[in-house]
Parts: sequence; structure tokens; C-alpha cells
Amino acid sequence: MAVRHLNVEVRREGGVAVLDLVGEINGFAEEGLNAAYSEAEAQDPKTILLNFEGVDYINSTGIALIVGLLARARASHRSLLACNLSEHYVEIFNITRLSDFMSVFPDEESAVAEASVS
Amino acid sequence: MTDPKPARTNAGPRRTLADFSVPSEPGNERLAMETVAEAVRPFDISGENLERLKTAVAEATMNAMEHGNKYRAEVPAEIQVLVMDRDLVVRITDRGSGPPPPRDGDTPDLEAKLEGMQTARGWGLFLIKSMVDEMNITGDEGHHTVELVVHLEPEGGK
Repeated sequence: MAVRHLNVEVRREGGVAVLDLVGEINGFAEEGLNAAYSEAEAQDPKTILLNFEGVDYINSTGIALIVGLLARARASHRSLLACNLSEHYVEIFNITRLSDFMSVFPDEESAVAEASVS
Repeated sequence: MTDPKPARTNAGPRRTLADFSVPSEPGNERLAMETVAEAVRPFDISGENLERLKTAVAEATMNAMEHGNKYRAEVPAEIQVLVMDRDLVVRITDRGSGPPPPRDGDTPDLEAKLEGMQTARGWGLFLIKSMVDEMNITGDEGHHTVELVVHLEPEGGK
């Protein structure tokens, strides 16, 4: 089974930098994910949104990569949000407590709306 | 393929649904996960319970390939899928030496990880334990076996 390497596009929605994630978030994703986060960070947004709509697999190494992004966001006093996670990965964000530190939204619209009022 | 050593015995009817191995190469945990999902299809496990089992299988296979077999492609991670009584049992065996990893490792401390006091990694065993009804780990001089158990009750397992 071929690994679906992660592709990330960075775009801006108002004050929010959105990372559109497509593929698998595993050990292979480290370089691309961190580079895309740096690209978003360079825009100096208040909020960075991880859009998981195109992600069908996150493993424990991927969880660690997301923890790393969250640490970077906290260090620079930015909000990191997540949207479009499947029900299963919402559960995983809950049991790992990631969702205690990054709000999880069902879709991009609700995430951007929340970011714009906070 | 060498038959994996059983992690425990279990009285009652036993049926093997699948017995296969994957080379220890990064990414092959998905192959294991999808093969197990196909093997258990007749049991009509509900969507969310199936997703939990798949995650547990993927994480246990990744641990076997990485920590047990050191990602040596020629050393396979061996996977058995069994039904024993009303339990679905998946056994994942590597060729690791030394004591098996502790079953009851610490729950990862996310705050410590965010503060840089702990490595960001270390979620695998915690995820496995959270996803299935039971997890057992056994080993000898040349093998470690992680056994995942899902109770096949009428209402479904965990």
C-alpha cells in the first residue's frame, strides 16, 4: 500500500492562515508540515487553522508533529485551531487532550468565524 | 512465515481469520491495518469501533516494526487475527529482544510535552490501550507479542 505523502497548501482567510492538509500525517509529513507552518507563521497571523478535510490517516508520530506545532503556536502567542477532523480523530484529539489546547471545529467557516470574534 | 508464539491461551472455540506478515518498513502499518479490517469484515463491527481497532493495529504494528525489528525490512512483523469465544484477538509479533515494553506505561503528559519537558512522541501504547478492550504484552528472548482484544458483544465492543 503506497503511502499518501502529505501535501500542504497555505492560504489566508482574513486574519487566519489556513493550512489545507491532504494525505497522511505520519513520520513522512514532518518536513512538509513544519515548512508549511513556517510559511503561515511568516504572515504573522493571530490564528493558524489546520484544515484536516483531506486527511484520512494520522498516526502517533503525526500526533507528535501536531504537538510540536501547538508548542510553536503557544510560544509565539498564536491560536492554533483544527477543523474538518473525522469523528474518529476528534475522539483521538479528545483522549490525547489536544482538544484542550486547540479548539476543534466541524468546518472551516465556524473556525474562521470564531477566530474573527476572539 | 514462522507461527507467532501465542500471548496467552484461551479456552473455547478458536478460529483464525488471518495470518500474515509485513516487512518492517515505514508505512506498512497501513497495510496491516487494512488487511485486519478486511479479515474482520464478516463481524460487521460498527464504524467507530472498526476505526478504533484499525488505529490500535496500526500503532502496534508500527511499534513492532520500529522498536522490535528496528525497521529492518527483511524482519517481518507477524500478525494473527483470531476469534476466541466472543473475543476478537489480534496478535502482533516482532523479533525484539530484551524485556517487552511495560503494559502500563505513563499516560503522556501533554502539558509537559508542550513545555518541552518531555519528547513530543510517546503516544503509541497510550493510543493502543485507549482503542481496544484489552491489551496484553508478552515476550521471550526473541519475540515480543502485543495482543489486542475486542469483546464481540451483541452491542459491540469498546
